Amino acid sequence: MFGFKSAASRSSFLLKNNSTKNLLLKANSNSLRHFTIPFLPTLPQNPGGVKGSVNDNLPKTKIDKFHASYHWNFEKVLAVGLIPLVSMSLMNGGSISTFIDLGLSYTLLMHCYVGFQSCITDYIPKRVYGTWHNKAMYALTFGTLLSIIGIYDMNFNQKNSGSVGLTTKLWGAKSEKSEEKA
Amino acid sequence: MSVLSLASKRITSFNTPARVLISKRFESVAKPANFKTFKIYRWNPDTPEVKPKMQEYKVDMNNCGGMVLDALIKIKDEQDGTLTFRRSCREGICGSCAMNIDGRNTLACLCKIDAEKANTVKIYPLPHTHVVKDLVPDLTQFYKQYKSIQPYLQRKEYPKDGTEILQSVEDRKKLDGLYECILCACCSTSCPSYWWNAEEYMGPAVLMQAYRWMIDSRDEAFGKRKEMLQNSMSVYRCHTILNCTKTCPKGLNPGKAIAEIKKFLAAD
Repeated sequence: MFGFKSAASRSSFLLKNNSTKNLLLKANSNSLRHFTIPFLPTLPQNPGGVKGSVNDNLPKTKIDKFHASYHWNFEKVLAVGLIPLVSMSLMNGGSISTFIDLGLSYTLLMHCYVGFQSCITDYIPKRVYGTWHNKAMYALTFGTLLSIIGIYDMNFNQKNSGSVGLTTKLWGAKSEKSEEKA
Repeated sequence: MSVLSLASKRITSFNTPARVLISKRFESVAKPANFKTFKIYRWNPDTPEVKPKMQEYKVDMNNCGGMVLDALIKIKDEQDGTLTFRRSCREGICGSCAMNIDGRNTLACLCKIDAEKANTVKIYPLPHTHVVKDLVPDLTQFYKQYKSIQPYLQRKEYPKDGTEILQSVEDRKKLDGLYECILCACCSTSCPSYWWNAEEYMGPAVLMQAYRWMIDSRDEAFGKRKEMLQNSMSVYRCHTILNCTKTCPKGLNPGKAIAEIKKFLAAD
């Protein structure tokens, strides 16, 4: 009896303090609290991710091949396609044709796009962040569109010499500096 | 005379096992105590305002079995009756005592204590699970997911004479390395992708069972089983991290099973 009383009085004392109360509520309501992005608002989550009673079935999934197997196949085609493109560019250096250079840049861009898309699906899911999931996807698409223009400019502008040429220049710049020093 | 004969009878009935027992008791008294420290995660749902803490227990390894589960049971029996954990078969066949021991998800009953080493053994519940109490995680979602893949034989016609459905030796061999899974959830809770998206991603253990039913020659629901997984979340949150294969206490390979599922779906 004494033990019960003391425990009750202790918790009521704790609840008088507003900040402690908030802390308590947080600790009880959300097991995901350590694994969320701090500056984004989150939706309330069920403890242990369980919806409904123990015997309820999981919601039925819809068939969506474009975001499932086709997407995965596309990822693999890009990854495999990069192997000859990168190795050819490495062997030929700056003297590679614009066509291959363009191919390499755009394949790499799509590879990055698909990769970041995967990151967003994993870490900013709609289930937890609501509209922020879509916003992140739009931001990624916007950045990719800018990059498409940038890559076009890199290959067809007279001043530039393509992505491979740019990469080669990095080495050239270093050697010039070292020559100056010497 | 009769007393003497009785005494001699007593002495002759003083058989070997009893003698061994006594000698063992003396041995344990004579031997210096070999204490091993166990740091165990404690949290009580009755006092939610008290933060989870690590509690230390010292166990004399001379009087304890060789596995972590033996030590846990000894602690619960002799030191702290409030320590809570699941256990049943003590031989790695029920999957109840899955927990995180020294940073690895494994079964306490199959995890040896290195009595020679002086290090502390740290025991946590399965990572990123909703803790019910101490070392007991809530596996409701895990079991729901297992239910959702329909882990039972599905076909239109069964043999009319009521006998079993026959299977060739080769077809049976395909199930080896899959049917041994005891659903202890060690692999699923070691998967970072499952940590982030346990609500939608099936996780390695459940996917391995999905594969087990896909390749069963007696099952006829192959198409339906593939359709259930044709979405961005169920399978494709697997990024071949392979923590599942590394941690499996039964030495199975869920990573390979998921790769095979992806191959099935790719050709779909």
